[in-house]
Amino acid sequence: MSWVGSRVRPIDWDDRSAGRTLFTADLPGERLVGRILRSPHAYAEVVAIDTTRARAMPGVHAVITAADFAPGARYVHRGGPLSDRPPLADGVVRHVGQEVAAVAAETPEQAAAALRAIRVRYRPRRAPLTPGQARSPGARRLHVRTTDEANVSMRLDTTWGDPDAGHRAAVVAVSGSFSYPSVSHAVMEPNTTLASWDAARGRVELWTSTQAPWFIAKEVSQLLGIAHDDVVIREVAAGGGFGSKSKASEHEALAAALSRAAGAPVLVALSREEELGANKPRHRFETTLRTEADADGVLRALDADIAVDNGSYNHMGTSVMRVGVITLGSMYRPDGVHFTARLVDTATQPGGQFRGYGTPQVSLAMESQVDEIAARLGIDPIDLRLRNLAPEHAETLCGYRVGTNRLGDCLVAVRDGLDWDAARSAPRGDGPVRRGWGVAAGSHGSGAFAYDQADRSDAALDLFDDGRVRVRHGGSDAGTGQNTILAQIAADELGVDLADVEVLSTDTERTPFELGAWSSRGTHMTGSSVGQAGRELAGRVRELAAEKLGADAAEVVLRGGRAHAQGRDVELGDLVGLAAEARDGVLSHETSYRVEGTEMLTPDKDRANLSPSYAFAAHGAVVDVDRRTGEVRVVDYLAAHDVGTAINPTAVEGQIVGGAAMGLGAALGEDLVREAGRVVNSTYLHYAMPRSADLPRVRAHVVDNHEAAGPYGAKSVGEMSIVPPGGAVANAVADALGVRLRELPITPDKVLTALAEQEGRRRRHGIWRRPSRWWIAAIRALYPLGLHHVLDRWGTRLGPARRARSRPPAAAPAVLVATGLDDALTALARPGAAALGGGTDLLPDRPRQARPAPVLVATSAVTEMRRLETRDGVLRVGGAVTLAELAEHPDTPDVLVTALRSIASPQIRNTATVAGNLVQAKRCWFFRNGFDCYKRNGATSPCYAVLGDHRFQHAAVDGHRCQAVTPSDVGTVLPALDAVLVLAGAAGVRREVDAADFYSGPGETVLRDGELVAEVRIPLVAARRGAFTKLGLYTGDFATASAALTVVADTDGRWCDVRLVLGAVAPTPWRLRAVEAALTGTRPTVADVRRLVDAELDRHAHPLPRNGWKLDAAAGLVEQAYDAL
Amino acid sequence: MAPQHPLVVNGETVEVDVTGMPSLATVLRDRLGLTAAKVACGRGECGACTVLVGGRPVMGCITPAVLVREPVETSEGLAAESADLRACFADTGAFQCGFCTPGQVVHATALLRAGLPPGSEERQEHVRHAMSGNICRCTGYQAIVASVCTVADARETEQAS
Ligand code: FES
Ligand code: FES
Repeated sequence: MSWVGSRVRPIDWDDRSAGRTLFTADLPGERLVGRILRSPHAYAEVVAIDTTRARAMPGVHAVITAADFAPGARYVHRGGPLSDRPPLADGVVRHVGQEVAAVAAETPEQAAAALRAIRVRYRPRRAPLTPGQARSPGARRLHVRTTDEANVSMRLDTTWGDPDAGHRAAVVAVSGSFSYPSVSHAVMEPNTTLASWDAARGRVELWTSTQAPWFIAKEVSQLLGIAHDDVVIREVAAGGGFGSKSKASEHEALAAALSRAAGAPVLVALSREEELGANKPRHRFETTLRTEADADGVLRALDADIAVDNGSYNHMGTSVMRVGVITLGSMYRPDGVHFTARLVDTATQPGGQFRGYGTPQVSLAMESQVDEIAARLGIDPIDLRLRNLAPEHAETLCGYRVGTNRLGDCLVAVRDGLDWDAARSAPRGDGPVRRGWGVAAGSHGSGAFAYDQADRSDAALDLFDDGRVRVRHGGSDAGTGQNTILAQIAADELGVDLADVEVLSTDTERTPFELGAWSSRGTHMTGSSVGQAGRELAGRVRELAAEKLGADAAEVVLRGGRAHAQGRDVELGDLVGLAAEARDGVLSHETSYRVEGTEMLTPDKDRANLSPSYAFAAHGAVVDVDRRTGEVRVVDYLAAHDVGTAINPTAVEGQIVGGAAMGLGAALGEDLVREAGRVVNSTYLHYAMPRSADLPRVRAHVVDNHEAAGPYGAKSVGEMSIVPPGGAVANAVADALGVRLRELPITPDKVLTALAEQEGRRRRHGIWRRPSRWWIAAIRALYPLGLHHVLDRWGTRLGPARRARSRPPAAAPAVLVATGLDDALTALARPGAAALGGGTDLLPDRPRQARPAPVLVATSAVTEMRRLETRDGVLRVGGAVTLAELAEHPDTPDVLVTALRSIASPQIRNTATVAGNLVQAKRCWFFRNGFDCYKRNGATSPCYAVLGDHRFQHAAVDGHRCQAVTPSDVGTVLPALDAVLVLAGAAGVRREVDAADFYSGPGETVLRDGELVAEVRIPLVAARRGAFTKLGLYTGDFATASAALTVVADTDGRWCDVRLVLGAVAPTPWRLRAVEAALTGTRPTVADVRRLVDAELDRHAHPLPRNGWKLDAAAGLVEQAYDAL
Repeated sequence: MAPQHPLVVNGETVEVDVTGMPSLATVLRDRLGLTAAKVACGRGECGACTVLVGGRPVMGCITPAVLVREPVETSEGLAAESADLRACFADTGAFQCGFCTPGQVVHATALLRAGLPPGSEERQEHVRHAMSGNICRCTGYQAIVASVCTVADARETEQAS
C-alpha cells in the first residue's frame, strides 16, 4: 500500500487550477437560455397564467407551466405523503421564489423579456412565516398533513433510556432556548443544468452540477413521465455542493422540460440571487433544552423541545430533524433523553440538505449547556466532557453501534494545542478587548441508511491493454476529493502508478449503480466498492499472470504496473489480451458492495444503527471580543478530529478546515434575513460569509486511529467539521464576556445589546422634548398599525418601479467614452444621459431601475478627471481617479488611505472611481435588492426598514421616511479633512461645495442634473493626525458604522483643531460639531471623548427598535479612533 | 455596423462587438471561448471572474468591455507563469471544487508580480487582506494564503541564487 494514506495532489489538479476543467456553463455549443419565473408572494392562489404574449415574442422557443407536467406531478424527495412539491406551481404558491413558469429563448435579453410578458394573476393570502406564527391558532394551514397539529409536518415524541433515573441522580440543571440560523450553502458554482432532449428516442441528456446523479435522474424521469434510464446524466465538473446538490435543486426538471418543449438544448443557470433567495438553505432550529447533571458533572438527563422551520415544502426536513435530535442520544452517556420535535411548515423558502444535517443546530444547544453545567459545578469544560465520554464499541441511546471513538484524544489535543489550562488561568485584564476560550465536541456518521439501497454501492474498474486503469463510479465529486481517493485506492489494489489511473464518475450510462455523495457516504461507500472491485480484479489479474509466468496465483505480486512471480514479470496491460472476457482491449470488472450491520430508519422506528462508522471531533476556539464595537474575532482555532485513518491527509485536512470555516460563518455572520418571506440579503454583498481576512488560521489535527469498519481504516470527515464551531464560538464568547448568547450568528448587535443589559445601561433620547421628531415618531408608530400593510399592498402598485416591471426590460445603453471634460458635460446635458465611472455600483443596480439611462457617458478617459497631483499644498483628485490610485498616492492623508483600503475589494478599488464612490446609491438592503420601497418606487410605497431588519444598515439618528444611510466611506472622511468638491456643469459652470455640505439625504447629493464631481481638493495639513475606524460584518463590507477623527494638536498636546464625523449612523455623514467644539483647547482622555460623544448621540438619536445598539458601536468606534491617533 | 472595440487578450489583438455593453467576462467566455474566468455572482462581489487589465486585477463581470483599453490577461494566458503557484495549491489543498480557483490564481499572480512585504506574519496578513475579494466556499482560505506566501519565498530564493 503506497498511495492510500499519502498526500497526493488532486488527479486533475493541473487542468482544474488553470481553469481548463469545464463546468456546465462552460460547455461549448449552441443552446437556448432558460429562465424561471418565480413567485413574488409568500402565499397566493394562482388564479390564471397567460403565456400567449410571451410565446409570440421573438427568439422565444418554449414557455412551460404546470400544464406541461402530468396533473398532480410532485417531486418524490422523501416519498409517500411527504411528497408535496410540484415542479411548477399548480394553483398555489407557498414561498417567495417558488417556480411558476419557465421560458427558453435565444438570448438572455429575450428570455428576460419573455418572463415579463407572462401574465400571472395571484390572489395573495396571509400565511405564517415563522414556526411561532404557524402554530398559533387560526394560522392558515399550508398543507394537509398527517399529524393532528396545524402546520406540523412531522412530530417526534421520543424517550430513549431512563430519563427518570437521570432526574433522580441529577443535582444541577440548566435550561434555555437556542437558535441556529437559516444559512445558505452559497456554493460558488450556482446550480446549473444543460439539458438536451432527443425526440427520436424520447430521452434527455443532462449535464448538471450535482453530487448525486442518481437522484437527479430519479426526479427528472418521474416528473417528465419517462423511464429512469431515459435520463442520461453526463460527467461534468461541479463547483461545490455541501449538500445543496445532493438532491434535485428544482431547476433540472425545468431545463429538461424546456428542452423537450423547444426541441433544442437549453441551459438553466441560477443567478446568485436565486441561489440565496429561492434555493433551499439550512433548516433553522429553535431548540429549547434542559440538561441535568450529577455532582461529578456527568450528564444524566436531557429534555428537548425543538421546532424545525420546514419552510414551504418537505424535502429532507423529516430526516434533517431526525438526524438533529440524534445528537442528544449519540454524543455522551446520559441515563435518558426525552424530546419532542416538530417540523413546522412556514411560507418561506423550504429548507434542504446542508452539511451536518441538523446536527450543528442541536449541537449548539447541547454544547452550550455542557459549558453552563461546567460553570455551575466549577469544573473545567474540557474536563467535564472527558468525564462524559461514551465507551467505544458500544451502543448509544439512539441505537448507534459505535466502533472506535477517540473523542477523548480530540479533547486532549485541543487542551494541549491551545495551551488551554495556562492560557485560561492567566489574568484576563480589563481592557476593551476581552479574550475567551471555548470548546465544543460533536459526532457524525459515515453515510446514513436513509433509503432503500443506501447500504449498497457498485463500482467498476477497467484495465486497458496499455496498462492504464479507469475507475467508474456513479457518484460525483463536487470538490471533496472523492475521485482522487478512489484513484489512490485503485492504484494500490492493482499496484499501478497513480498517474495511470483515471476516474469516470457521474455518467449514468457508463457507470454502475451508486446513490452518490451525500450524508458523508462518499469515502465509506465508494471507497469500499472501489476497493472491493480492485481486489477482485487484482485476483483475476493474478490468475492471468500466474498462467503466463507459470506460477501459482497466490505468489503473484502486483507492483509498478507489472505482475511479478518466480523472478519474472509481465506488464499488466499485456495480460488483458489473455482474458477471454476482455473486450476491445479492456478488461472490466464490476462489483457490488453492501454494508453489513446498519439498519434503515422507518417511520415506526426511532432507534437504528444508521451508519457503518462514526466520526468524532472537538474544536477549540479563541476569540477576542471588542466591548466597544461588539465585534468578535476568532484569533485561533484548533479542530481535532477522529477520522479513523486518513486515505489522503491533505484532502482530510481540507475538509476539516473548510467545514470549520463554514461553521464559523454561521456562528458569526451568516443568516438569511427575510421580509414578508422574501430574502433581503440575496447577494454576496449583503450575505456576511467569511472572507479571507475574517478567518483565523484553522489548525487541523487528526488523532491516531484505525476504524476496522471503514475502508482502509477511514471514517467520514466532510460533515463532522461543521458541527462544533457554533458551540465552540458561543462558549468562547461566554467565557470572554460572562454573558451567554444563545442565538447565532453572534453579530455585534447581539453582543452590544447583551453588554448594555449586563451593565444596566439604557440610552434616553427624550423624543417628547423634540418636536422636530414627533411627525416621524407618529409615522413609525402607525406602521405596525396598518400603514405598512396599506402602503405595501396598495401603495406600491402606483409606483414607477413596479409599473416598469410589466414593461419589457430596457435596452442596453449606448456608451459614450468622453475624453475631455467639456465633451463629457455636453453629452451629459442631453436628456437621458447619465455618468458612468467605474460602473461597479451603477451596473448591478441598473436592472432594478425604473428608467435606466439610455446613454451612459464614461468618464474613465476624461483627462481632466484623471489628474492626481499636489499643487499649493492641496491634493487635487480628479473624479475619475480610481480608489486604488488615490490610496497609492504618497500625499494622500493616512486617514483617507485607511478608509480607501477598507472599501470592497482590491478588484473593485482598481475600477471604482472617487466620484463614483461619493455618489453611489444609498445603503439599504431593501433598496439595493429591489424592494418597491419609498425611495425606489415613490411616495406611496413604504420604507421596509421601519418594520424590517434594520439592525445593521439604517440610520439611528435623524432618519426620516427613508431610513437608509450614505454608504461612502470617502464621504465620511472628506469632511474631516476640510475637503472641497468641485462640481462641473455644462457651459463651463463650476462651483465648489464643502465636503460637509455635499449630501442632502441618504446617498443623495446636491449635484444638479448634468453635473459631475470633477475634482476633490484636499488641503494638506502636515500637523493633522487622523484615524478612521469602521465596523462591518466582513472584510470589505459597507460600514455598519464608522468614525473619522482628525486632530491638530499644539506643542503641549492640546487639541486645537478637531473634526469628528460619524458614517452610516445618520442619513448623511454626521459631523459632531458640538463635540468638536467641546474638545477644542483640551487634552482629552478617551473617557472624556466618549462622554461627550455619548451625550451628543443621546441628544440627537432616534433609533429604530432594533438599531439603538449602533449608537454604542459608533461611540466605541470613536474610542478606537482615539486610540489609533 | 456594430461598434467594434479592440482588445488585447493574452497577447493577441481581437476586435469584439460591444453592442449592448457586454461585460468583459461575457466577451471572454461567450465570444472568445475563454471560460476560465467564472461568473458566480455577476455583481462584482466574489472575485470568480477576476482577470488582469493592465496588470491590475479587476472583476470581469462588471467591467464593460468597451471601457477596457489596456491588455487583458486571463487564467488561460497565465497558466505557465502560475505553474509553481498552482502546483503549490494542489499540494496544500488550496482548492477543492476549483470554481473560485482561476480567479484566485489570477489575483495571486498579480500580487506575486508586485512582490510581498518582508516578514512571514506581514506576508500572511497582506495576502489575507488582499485576497478578501475572492470568495472561496470550500477551503477556508488558509491554504490559498499559505501557498501564495510559499511561492513568493521560493521565487525570491531562486532569484537570489
Ligand atoms: S462573478 Fe464577478 S465578482 Fe462574482
Ligand atoms: S475551491 Fe470551491 S469555492 Fe474555492
